Order: sequence, then structure tokens, then C-alpha cells
Amino acid sequence: VTVDPRARGAVRYSVDADMPGELHGALVRSTVAHGVVRSIDVSALHRDVAVLLPEDVADLPPYGCQIADQPVLAGERVRFVGEPVAALAAPTAAAARAAAQAVVVEYEELPAVLDVLEAVGEDAPLLHPNVAVSASDAAYFGIRPVAGTNICHRFRIRHGDVEAGFAEADVVAEATYRTPSAAHAAMEPHTSVARFTDAGRLEVITGTQTPFNVRMELAALFGLDEEDVRVVAPAMGGSFGAKTFMRQEPVVAALARKVGRPVKLVLDRGEEFVTLNRHPSVVQVRLGATGDGDLVAKAVSCWADTGAYADCGPGVAQKMGFAAPGPYRIPNCWVDAHAVYTNAPPNGAFRGYGQMQSIWASERAMDALAAKLDMSPLRLRRRNVIGDGDGYATGETMHDTCFEELLERVAAAVDYEREPRGKGLALMMKGMQTPSRAAIAIEREGDGYVVRCATTEMGQGARRSLALLAAEQLDCAPEQVRVPDPDTDRVPYDTRTTSSRSTYMMGRALVMACQALREDGQRGFGSISNDGGLDPDTGQGVASTHWHQAAAAAWLDVDDETGVLDLHRLHCAVYAGRVVNEPGAALQNEGSMSMGLGTALFEAIDFNEGQVTNANLSDYNLPTAEDVAALTHELVEREGAAVHGLGETALPPVPPAIGNALASHGIELDELPMVPERILEAIDRRGGADATPRDRRAEVPRT
Amino acid sequence: MNWYVPSDLEEALLLRETYGEDATVHAGGTFLGILMNQGLIAPAGLLSLGKVAELRNVAVVDGELRLGAMVTHREVERHPQVRAGWPMLPRAFHAVASPRVRTVATIGGVLADADYASDPPAALSALGARAVLRGPRGERTVSIEDLILGYYTTCIEPDELLVEVGVPAAGDAVYRKFTTRSSEDRPCVTVAAAVAPDRRVSVVVGACSERLQRFDDLCAVDAAELRDGGCRAEIAEGYGARIRAISDVRGSAGYRRRVCAVEVRRALEELSP
Repeated sequence: VTVDPRARGAVRYSVDADMPGELHGALVRSTVAHGVVRSIDVSALHRDVAVLLPEDVADLPPYGCQIADQPVLAGERVRFVGEPVAALAAPTAAAARAAAQAVVVEYEELPAVLDVLEAVGEDAPLLHPNVAVSASDAAYFGIRPVAGTNICHRFRIRHGDVEAGFAEADVVAEATYRTPSAAHAAMEPHTSVARFTDAGRLEVITGTQTPFNVRMELAALFGLDEEDVRVVAPAMGGSFGAKTFMRQEPVVAALARKVGRPVKLVLDRGEEFVTLNRHPSVVQVRLGATGDGDLVAKAVSCWADTGAYADCGPGVAQKMGFAAPGPYRIPNCWVDAHAVYTNAPPNGAFRGYGQMQSIWASERAMDALAAKLDMSPLRLRRRNVIGDGDGYATGETMHDTCFEELLERVAAAVDYEREPRGKGLALMMKGMQTPSRAAIAIEREGDGYVVRCATTEMGQGARRSLALLAAEQLDCAPEQVRVPDPDTDRVPYDTRTTSSRSTYMMGRALVMACQALREDGQRGFGSISNDGGLDPDTGQGVASTHWHQAAAAAWLDVDDETGVLDLHRLHCAVYAGRVVNEPGAALQNEGSMSMGLGTALFEAIDFNEGQVTNANLSDYNLPTAEDVAALTHELVEREGAAVHGLGETALPPVPPAIGNALASHGIELDELPMVPERILEAIDRRGGADATPRDRRAEVPRT
Repeated sequence: MNWYVPSDLEEALLLRETYGEDATVHAGGTFLGILMNQGLIAPAGLLSLGKVAELRNVAVVDGELRLGAMVTHREVERHPQVRAGWPMLPRAFHAVASPRVRTVATIGGVLADADYASDPPAALSALGARAVLRGPRGERTVSIEDLILGYYTTCIEPDELLVEVGVPAAGDAVYRKFTTRSSEDRPCVTVAAAVAPDRRVSVVVGACSERLQRFDDLCAVDAAELRDGGCRAEIAEGYGARIRAISDVRGSAGYRRRVCAVEVRRALEELSP
């Protein structure tokens, strides 16, 4: 019997990494959402505590994977509650934390903007007067800041003539949908240990999904050659997007530079809530169809609140934008997607990467349209679902599509056709990182093999999948294939372990490497790239060479007196193409659906004047075992199909499936999470002239 | 930090008298641990009752259930005498958190913490339970409603220990925990309803504000009248109208009042179908 190394306690996680002679770091964080730092008083510190102040990092330029806007320590200006203003290193973590409490910072508060629509209003404070696009390779897609505003990226799709399309429409549904901020809540917090060697090299062991991005950005930050930065990425105790690009690495490296010794930093749970969260969003949808139910026009505005620093918000907004048409044939489709600065903690990659927000809006709008057409939501989807050879709103021709089958499978799972009441459906499509590159090497080692690649392990089972694939190619046991921690000194370049791309991209590179090894006898190398991209001003081009596809169906009843929902079944069907690691793939679906359920029903980060008020796992609630009992899923395979990534696919369709099931009871919700109190308010509105809640905020500008 | 570990009750009481608030009482540690981890309290010392065997007793004396302060939630859930004579208590204690928590969390701890969003206090109150406090001035007993005075505040003096909970013989009783988020969430509203052997009706609402709330004048009916839907509705509406409620992550004040009326009615329906 092979016992999972995680169950045996045999995995060395990022937080287990130490360097000899290390000191422990702690951060002093801003207590105001927007302000000027007047003074930092460190006079109460014990003499064995080293302190890093803004003047110590004055030589380091702003960094950021897409916009170069983030300082290592806030200098004169703080832009969110929780922003690091100083850092400390002490012999123990407890001493460092105690020292952080003893630092006194004085601020002069400035007006803060905490709402994405207010941030694009005329009177909003401008958070970054000059927005500079990053030189990092993650800023590849034509970032379009709007000068003089808080918009750090604007992406558009212009497909057909949308006004002419609406003129043809007999029925139009229009609504505004909202989603809140959310926590990744990985079990392991963010953690890094770093040192500068005597030879001047920077070595970092860090929990990251993006070792090569961290290397590239640290090199740029400290003025080093990339070869003089070494990043080792041990297994993470979960990430879900939270550990992409640079997080705590710059400040840990800067501390190590200051003290001349290795420094380790482990964030605590409360700090996790101000490190990287999910983008709150407002998505406005206008969707028109002929009386027969043929979609003729769609106009969507997406507003992604990226917080005080852009991080990968431009990319998230862009993906929100190009998912907004949905997997349907729509001849006229315009989308405007924006990443917007506010005084919230930074928001970035989160399992689903903008699709959840986008699909929550567009799949709820499909059911609203179906109601106006007096047509079954299943029939409306069947009539318009995109298939092989159809053109998408980006102009690309779809291939390897499975939406129709996924739709039929989930509808059958809840017996939708016989009785649609209490049931809801949702479809989702998600692009994969395009363009990107993956490379891998494999060598003989003893009586087995060692795989050298940058794919990181975060609980998704990437190493297991690679070992299984290699074993299949080389006709050996998976246990004969060793997949060590990625180390940028030893592994070939890979874009990153994100976007559910590793099994698909790295898997294909591995097949090439194994073939090369069989020819060489000792070692083999494989590399693969996918090419494409979109014109940011028209949204035309190739959004994704490979679409992640899923459908969900929910079946539920509601307690009309309390708004509590009784979920009988929640079923997801995910297109896998070909399954490599069956238990691993099943766990990805279960995990995605559980996160989708929390997103749908109760997860939201609450703020009071920019401060997180529920920064712990009691006040911020996650689904537990009893909550997920009604969840089922299936992996759809096809003869001869390519491997499809599925790390995130089953999450986004969950909230709209549940929202649409509520709508079938006449309970219309436009905002997540769908807590009982909101459901009860919607029950009170039911059947009234205004069953759909009115937009409570100001009229939204259209760029 | 000083860690005091008395091996019997006498020593525990002596240490309590000596150190008072300088040594926070540690029972199961599930709540204390959270407060300490979040930096909300930093006790100079801890007085651990883990080795005080006298506080772990469960007994029935003259028809009264006596639960030592260190009896765990899990023991309340599983003890045959508790299950036989006070079946509502195992249901209420089972509603707390997860098995891992219930295996160490104690009855004394949950009462002395006085966290408003807890299950056991309302259940114990509806059954007419009393808490036994012991200190240098001797022993006194207080009702559960009088024990918990506000948020994390009790009437326990700094030199006193909560040593036992006594629950009188019970008649029919129900406990309802109402949650708005995950199945392991703390309650948004709790309702415990009981008909005592002398036919008195008690309805206690918890988790809505800093203290337990009961309106005995609304419940001054003969237990037989509870079979009447109109009577039940009247009591329920009365509770909904009078209850004081706070807003927190689990629901607004207005929502709580509305749910309170529903849950009181449902508790009475369950109690007297």
C-alpha cells in the first residue's frame, strides 16, 4: 500500500524551510486606508532587533508583475490598511512580532476610496498619478491604463455592431451583478526565507506558484542578473492563486540585505487577509434576443476592484472581459472590462481568475432573459450554445468544444426537463494562459528517473501527475520517477503554475522529453509553447488555444420564513479530454465545487473604513464536511482528446447555478454571497413589480 | 508565562485565591487558545484544571444531574444517564463546532467564557440549571441567566471557580440552533424550550445579544395550551417583538428578530406537536 506522503508527514512544506543563522521577520502595517506617513518611531525597540525603514529601500524601484506600482515598504504614502510601512528582524518570531507592536507610526489621513464605482467617479482620489506598465513577462497583453483615472487597464471586445443587434432584439434583459472580496484561506500562510550569499547572489526559498516570475522581478528590483537570483519553491500547503508573483519576497530579501543574514518571514492568519484577496466586482449585462430565443446582442461592462496595487488585476479584468460573452453564439457583442485601483488590500489571482465574477453575471442574465422570453433556461442555452467551428466574440474559431454535452449531462443529473422548479443551470468557459511556454528535462537516476521542471506543488497533485505521465511514457513504476522541488538554478524556464495549464502544457512537454530520453539513453528535454493573444482595443485574436469547460446544476428548496436554503444536489460536469490522474482530477473538482459553494453561500471579506473586520476563520466562514454532502461531479472524457486542465473549472459555475435555482422559485439575487438574510429580502420582493433589486449605486459611466 | 497545574480541587481553589486574575483559568482551551492566538489577551499565567479529577464527575443526586466543570461536551453528548434523563442536553452540546473541539471543550469553560454565540447556555437555562461557584467565602449557586452578565463577562469573582453545574429533573425539552453559514458556524439564533415536571414552560433565546433572554410572562401558560397553534404563535410573536438583537457577521438585528419569532414557534411546535 502506498500512503500519500502528505498523510505520512513526509512533505517538507515552504514553511518548513530554514537557512542556517536565520533571523525572523515581522511587519509593521498601516492602520489607515489612505494617508501620509508623518513619522516612524522605533526608539522603543530592543537593540537585538534590526529594523528596515523606507529609507533603507529607497534605492529599490517600484515592482509589480503587470504595473510597476508597488514599493517594498510604503514610503511617504500608504494606500491600504495593512500595507507594510516597516519591517523588523529578531532572533525569534515572537520577539519580532512583539517588536512590531512597539513601533509607533503617525499618519495624516487622506480621503480613501473603497468602492470600485466610486473610484472611477470624478471626485475620487487618484491613487497612482503615473501608471507605468511593468517590464515583467506577465505584462504581455497590451496593458491600457486610462490616464488621470484609477483605471489601470481597460480591455475591449468589439464584435459586430452591438446597437444594431439590440435594434433587432425583441427582448432585452439588463441587470447589474456584484461579488465581494474573498480569502483564498490556504492552510499554509505566505512564507519565505532569503539570504544574500558572499558572492552577492540572492537565494530565496519561498512558497510560490511562480518561481521564474519571482526570480525575474527580484533580479530587476535588486539590480542583479537573473542568474544571480535563485528561487526554490517547495510544496505549498495550498495557494489557490494567493502565492502568484511577488508577495512577501521583496521585503524578506530587503531585510536580509540590511542585516547581512538570512531572514525568514511567516505571515499569520490575520495578515493573510491583507496580503492578496479576490477582486470584488460589478458587472453590468445587457443581453438581447429575438422572440424565438436567438441571442443577437450582448453588452457587458466589468469593473474589477484591484485594490491599492494592480498585481495581476489587469490580467484578471481582461479574462473577466473575454469570458463575458459566455459559451454562446452572439453575432454582436461589446465588452468593456476595467481593473480599478481602490484603497483595499491588493486583489489578484484567485481560483477561477475572474471567470467566477463574469459568469455569475452572464449566467444569471441568461435566466433573466429566459424568463422574459417565457422560455426554459435549458432551451435557451441549447439554442445558442457554441460548438466546434462556431466563431467566438474574439473572432477565433472554436474547436474541441464540449459545452452541449456538459449542459445535457448536468440537466439530466437533476432531471431538469421533467421538473425545472427549484433547479438552476450554468455553463462556463475559461481561457488558459495564452501565450505561454513550458519546458522540462528528464534524466536517468539510479534505476529510475528525475524530472526537472518548474511546475510547483500546491496540493493539486502536479508532481503525482508528472510522475504518472512519465511512468506511462517510460514504461516504469510512478515511484521510480522523482520530481524534486523546483529550483531556478536547476530547472528549465516555465511561465508559471497557474491557469490550470500544467498538466496540459507541461504534460505535453514531458511527452517530448521522454521521447528524447529514449533516443538519447540518458536525458531528454522537451519544450512547448502556445501562441496567440488579443488586441486589447478590439478583443480580436486568439484568447485561448485551449478552453476549460464546465457546467453545473443545482437543485434546492428554500425555507420561506428564514431564507435558509436546503441544497438537495449540486452537480458539476467538467470536460477533462483525457484524465491523467483520476483521484487527483476528482479532488480538483471536489475542491473547486466546495470553494464555489462557499463563494455562493457565505464567503465575503467585510470591511469597515478599509479595515478587514473578519480576518479570522471563525468570522470568515468556510464550508465544512457537512456542507458538501450534496456535491457530485463527473469528468467527461473523449476518445483521442487532449488532456484538459481542470484545477479551477468546477468553481465558477457553482454560484450562478445556485442563483438560477433560486430564481426558479422567483427569488432573484444579484449579489454574492447568497446568505439567508439576502434570500429572505428577495422573498419579500418576490412577485412584486421590482423583483430584481434596483442598482443601488450611481449610474455607471461607460468608457 | 506561569503555568499552574493543581492536582486536586483544594489546590486549585488555593491557587485561584492566590493569583486571581493574574492566572487565567484554562479548561479545554478551545476559546482561550483563539483569544491568545489573536493577541486579544496575553495572560501572565494560566491555571489549568486539567488534572483536577473531582471536576470531571457526572452524577445524578436526588434526581438532579450534577456535571463537573471539566466534563467535556463530548461526555455530555454520550453519557448514558444524561441521554436518558436530559436528552435535550446531548443535542445542544452536539451542535457545538466539530468533534475535535467537543472532545476538549468543557461545560464550565463554555459558561465561564460567556461568549454570546454559544449553544449550551440557552439549553441549560431553559432546563433551570444552576452554576455552583466556590471560593474562600464558601459556595454559592446562581442561575445561568445570572451567571452571564454580558459579553465575556460573568458574576464569577476573581477568587472563585465554577466547579459544577446542576440540572434539575427535566420534562420535555427541545433545542434549536439556527445558523446562516457553514454547518460548523456559531449560531445566529438559538432557542431552547422546555416544559418542567411542574408543567412550567420556559423559552430561552441565545446568541441574539450579550445575554440570554427569556420572557416568562409570555410563557405563563399551561403546557397543555401549547398544543394550540394560536397560543404558540402568540408566544412566538411576543418573543420576536421583544427580543433585543445585535447585528454581526451572522445576521442583522432585524433579521435576528424575525428568525427569533420563527424559531420560537418551531421550537414550541416540536415541543408539543
